[in-house]
Amino acid sequence: MIELEQLRYVRLGTRDLQEASEFATGVLGLQHVRTESSRAYFRSDYRDHTLCYVLTESHYASFAFDVRTPEVLERARQAVADFGLKPRFGTEDECADRRVKAFIVFEDRTGNSIEIVLRPLMSGWRYFPGRDAGVTGLQSIALRSMSVDDERLWTTVFNGRISDWVGDACYIRIDRLHHRLSLHPSSRAGVLAVGFEIEGIDQLMQANYFLKNRQIRIKHGPGREPTSGQMFITFEGPDGVLFRFATGMTTIADDRAHLPRQFPDAPSSYCAWGSEVAIKELAGARPLADIEMRIP
Amino acid sequence: MIELRDIRYCRLGTRDLPAAEWFATTILGLEVMERSKRAVYFKSDARDHTLCYFEGEPEDQTTAFEVATSDELNGAATALEAIGHRVVRGTGEESELRRVRDFISFSDPSANKIELVLRPAHSAQRYHGTRDAGVTGFSHVGLFSTNAARDEVFWTTVFNARVSDRLGDAPLLRVNPVHHTIAILPGRRPGIHHINHQVAATDDIQRSNALLRDRGIPVVFGPGRHPASSAQFLYFTGPDEVTYEYSVGVRSIDDEPIYRERQLEASARGACQWGAQPVVKLI
Repeated sequence: MIELEQLRYVRLGTRDLQEASEFATGVLGLQHVRTESSRAYFRSDYRDHTLCYVLTESHYASFAFDVRTPEVLERARQAVADFGLKPRFGTEDECADRRVKAFIVFEDRTGNSIEIVLRPLMSGWRYFPGRDAGVTGLQSIALRSMSVDDERLWTTVFNGRISDWVGDACYIRIDRLHHRLSLHPSSRAGVLAVGFEIEGIDQLMQANYFLKNRQIRIKHGPGREPTSGQMFITFEGPDGVLFRFATGMTTIADDRAHLPRQFPDAPSSYCAWGSEVAIKELAGARPLADIEMRIP
Repeated sequence: MIELRDIRYCRLGTRDLPAAEWFATTILGLEVMERSKRAVYFKSDARDHTLCYFEGEPEDQTTAFEVATSDELNGAATALEAIGHRVVRGTGEESELRRVRDFISFSDPSANKIELVLRPAHSAQRYHGTRDAGVTGFSHVGLFSTNAARDEVFWTTVFNARVSDRLGDAPLLRVNPVHHTIAILPGRRPGIHHINHQVAATDDIQRSNALLRDRGIPVVFGPGRHPASSAQFLYFTGPDEVTYEYSVGVRSIDDEPIYRERQLEASARGACQWGAQPVVKLI
């Protein structure tokens, strides 16, 4: 069992680094750290960066959890290989690019790129964003999945625990937070949504009107997840990746006392407020055409 | 000084009583307390009723406040007459219709119909709404005013109302620790600007927002949060173009001696700190 410590960063490919950077600072309200050799780095909290845009023509997305020691990293490489996946250590240049001491990278059965890193860089400076969006940090990743093996990877190789299921979608926690990762059955691979935590409902609803005024498409919410209890708003970012602002996620203090719950495969399992959903993976068993009809 | 203890009910005339009942129950979530031939009484909390629709003209709107004793009721009648307001004593039959022991009626300087009631009926049964709207009770009313400064003087000198905050010249008035029980809002004619019911939680505001959207009921402002009262709100249109409001989290003013009212701008920014834009001119 490999102990994952924290969700560290997300790397997203973009065809337009300038546009993606403007979105990261102007809409998400993140703090720009640096732009170098077709990379742009952004902070959301006390760490060096939690979002990195990579200039590329092809689809690219990757995200990282960290482990504590080189021994654990080596054990992780072995365990992932034993699971039947193909991990490899990152090169020196790749490590420098990610601001980590060492890392392994591999693809899950679906083809999602996953990184396990060692000693990622911290920042000595207080997080000071350009826009008062109230972001408090990188919170979670929603991942598309085409294989039930993906769930097993996190719960058997790593220390992931299932918090809840909605249909066959699952919410996985690695710490006390209800989930850091969610897997959503889909017809393709990729990061479905990147979640940033914000301070509270004021920031959430301010984001709602801010996004509407800028005609940024809101794909889901404002709403509240019946599973995690958090309030959220999900909206479209560059290159088809969704971003999510969320606040108020429940924590699970006692692992043994928490029995994962099975919610029905329906839109109401993703929003207790009845907000409209325009995300295929969260539309439940209902055909999406049915739902898109109702969106003005 | 006439002491208003609390707001009690609104009586609204309508030409389509079944439509008003449908709205009050199916949409607003209130409970029918009683139906008579020409009126329907609705319950929103532990009180007998807090809203009454009757067969009549939609312009015929009355707001009632409760006073504590018959001496105070008599004193109020004398005080109002002394400053030139025509006061009408309710008959026994009229009191019966209102489920009160006694009442007087008069008009404020903008010609809004007001009643002061004595010993209004409480209810032995708890409120059980028609739908799970989370309503916890009727809380305040917005009144149109043809001269907000004049009406502010009326409510704060003849009655115990205090200004909690102002949006432009529109005062939000309290008669008890609740931030406001009467909102005086500039308009060209008298009438009820909006009727507020409190709900239990944020979730109730947001779920109702989805329900109204699905039912095609126009949401005219919100979901939002008022900077003045800190309440989260949702305004929507009811029968005869009367605006209804749900809100949660209205602040309580418990530091009466040191509290100072604040001046907010009469704009969407002054009325909502989330960025919601009113569809119609609400302020």
